Amino acid sequence: MILKLFKQPQAIIGFLFITSLLIFSFYWPSMLDVDKTEALKLQDFLYDDDGRIIDAPPYSPSQVPPLGSDMFGKHIFYQVIDGAKYTILIALGIALFRILFSVGITLINPKSNFSFVNDIVQATLYLPTAILAYIFINSLIMKQSMEPMSTIKLILLQCLILIGVGVPPLISTFSNEIKAILKKDYITNTFALGSKKVYVYYKHVLPELSTKLVLLFAQQVVQTLILMAHLGVLAIFIGGSAIVVLGDIFAPMPVAIPLAGEWAGIIGMNFAKIKAAPWAILTPLTFFAMLIFALNLIIQGIQNCLETNKS
Amino acid sequence: MNFSLKSYLKRLRSIILGILIIGILPALLFGTNTQVEQNVWEYSIRNLKYPLFPDVFEKYQYSMTIFFAALLSGLVAALILTFFTTLLPRFLQRIVYGLLTFLESLPDLFIVVVLQFTVIYIYQSTGILVANISNVYNNPIYLLPILTLAILPTIQLFKIALLLMKDEQHKPYVTVARAMGLSRFYITIVHVFRNILTSLVQYYKTIFVFMLSNLFIVEYVFNLNGIMNVLLYTKGVAFMVTALMIAIPFSFLFEIAESNTIKVNKQEEEEAA
Repeated sequence: MILKLFKQPQAIIGFLFITSLLIFSFYWPSMLDVDKTEALKLQDFLYDDDGRIIDAPPYSPSQVPPLGSDMFGKHIFYQVIDGAKYTILIALGIALFRILFSVGITLINPKSNFSFVNDIVQATLYLPTAILAYIFINSLIMKQSMEPMSTIKLILLQCLILIGVGVPPLISTFSNEIKAILKKDYITNTFALGSKKVYVYYKHVLPELSTKLVLLFAQQVVQTLILMAHLGVLAIFIGGSAIVVLGDIFAPMPVAIPLAGEWAGIIGMNFAKIKAAPWAILTPLTFFAMLIFALNLIIQGIQNCLETNKS
Repeated sequence: MNFSLKSYLKRLRSIILGILIIGILPALLFGTNTQVEQNVWEYSIRNLKYPLFPDVFEKYQYSMTIFFAALLSGLVAALILTFFTTLLPRFLQRIVYGLLTFLESLPDLFIVVVLQFTVIYIYQSTGILVANISNVYNNPIYLLPILTLAILPTIQLFKIALLLMKDEQHKPYVTVARAMGLSRFYITIVHVFRNILTSLVQYYKTIFVFMLSNLFIVEYVFNLNGIMNVLLYTKGVAFMVTALMIAIPFSFLFEIAESNTIKVNKQEEEEAA
């Protein structure tokens, strides 16, 4: 199947875009020949040649090329490039674990119809995933504010919530798929010949599921990205946030800034200032759109492969 | 119309159970929040407390107006666009299809923000306020949220309708109608469209679920006081009641649509056999 995927130009384009973004995100300081700490530092004021202050943040794209800066004077472009690796890796990881967990849970007892899970799936149809994740993460943050926990534990718990939100619908899809496969004649024969369950699952069920798994994985990555963007708007950042006080003494303005530099965090941080610095939120959103488009190209390629397989 | 109360009640039972589980789980996992003492029927946004009843009905009505107006306008727009696309030559159709695949991958948040900015930009450069971009006090806005909410479903419906149209145009009855000397225009409007509409109903679930998720982000960004905002800030019992308010009517719609699509499928199978 992978060989066939190489014949789909759109899938290759999508794949190349994501890989190059990842590589660029890891090695941008040496590629662009800039110092990382220098590029991501806070810039209080903008000075002209004589050393006079000419402007305060946020700077427009024309003042600070290429893409302007946010409320703290940080370059949006460098932030987005630096955040790409976190965003992509978090989304990939969450999607992967969603698939792993749901396949694992389904394979424990593939013949049951998971009525408990089915109830939850029926209910989650009417609740947006972002709200679902929000109520869970919000109570997690409440708990964290009362009894502090380490950052790593917080990130792990948040990721677990993001994984858990997506698992119930996947279980119901997989349980249908696996049931259909287990009904096939050759599986019944294999059992009759005395093979163990684990062997059948590993040798017959999983290979038959594999194309479907890849497709669902790519779709899950897209959904995770959208969910992350929504949570960013709700000011929930993966990796926790720190409160920084902006403004002067008479009008202090507490602003939550995310600790990890992923794109959803950049969106959420600048969302309140949407009218003052539109570029600060449009840039990460455009990158989100481009990433999702690249993923959709890959999905389209896989679907084309499946269709040619059938005919 | 065929609709069985029994299967609806069964579905309702599992929805209620599911919402109960979801409502209790956060408190179960992370402990109840004892710091904020508040009435069960109240919810707080930015430290201001609001009663749930009877405001929630007004908000519910407002949200549903936006939702169904967007759904209807999206459906109509998609059908009109499909009609004009089928009249285009083949290579232009392929371009339109490619463009749709691109537009489909735009996140809803992106569209909301871009539209908001376009309105602000038009206002700044020409002084004409096309539509209000945010809710202020008791002045509900309709035009922009409906427009925003309608865009993505329009694209999806348009794409599905195009695909269905492609399948439909090679069916024997179209060939017969062509042979009878009817014009392409007439066949498309009178015969093909009717058949597409019935097939389009099968995609109701994806569209509805997708639109509910979009409705939330539209309400949040435009600062509309709708049902989704209430859902976001309520906890415990109030959350369950609000969720049920959304779930019960929608599940009713789903049940009707589902039993009818099953009927259509059965008919097709019988015809095939």
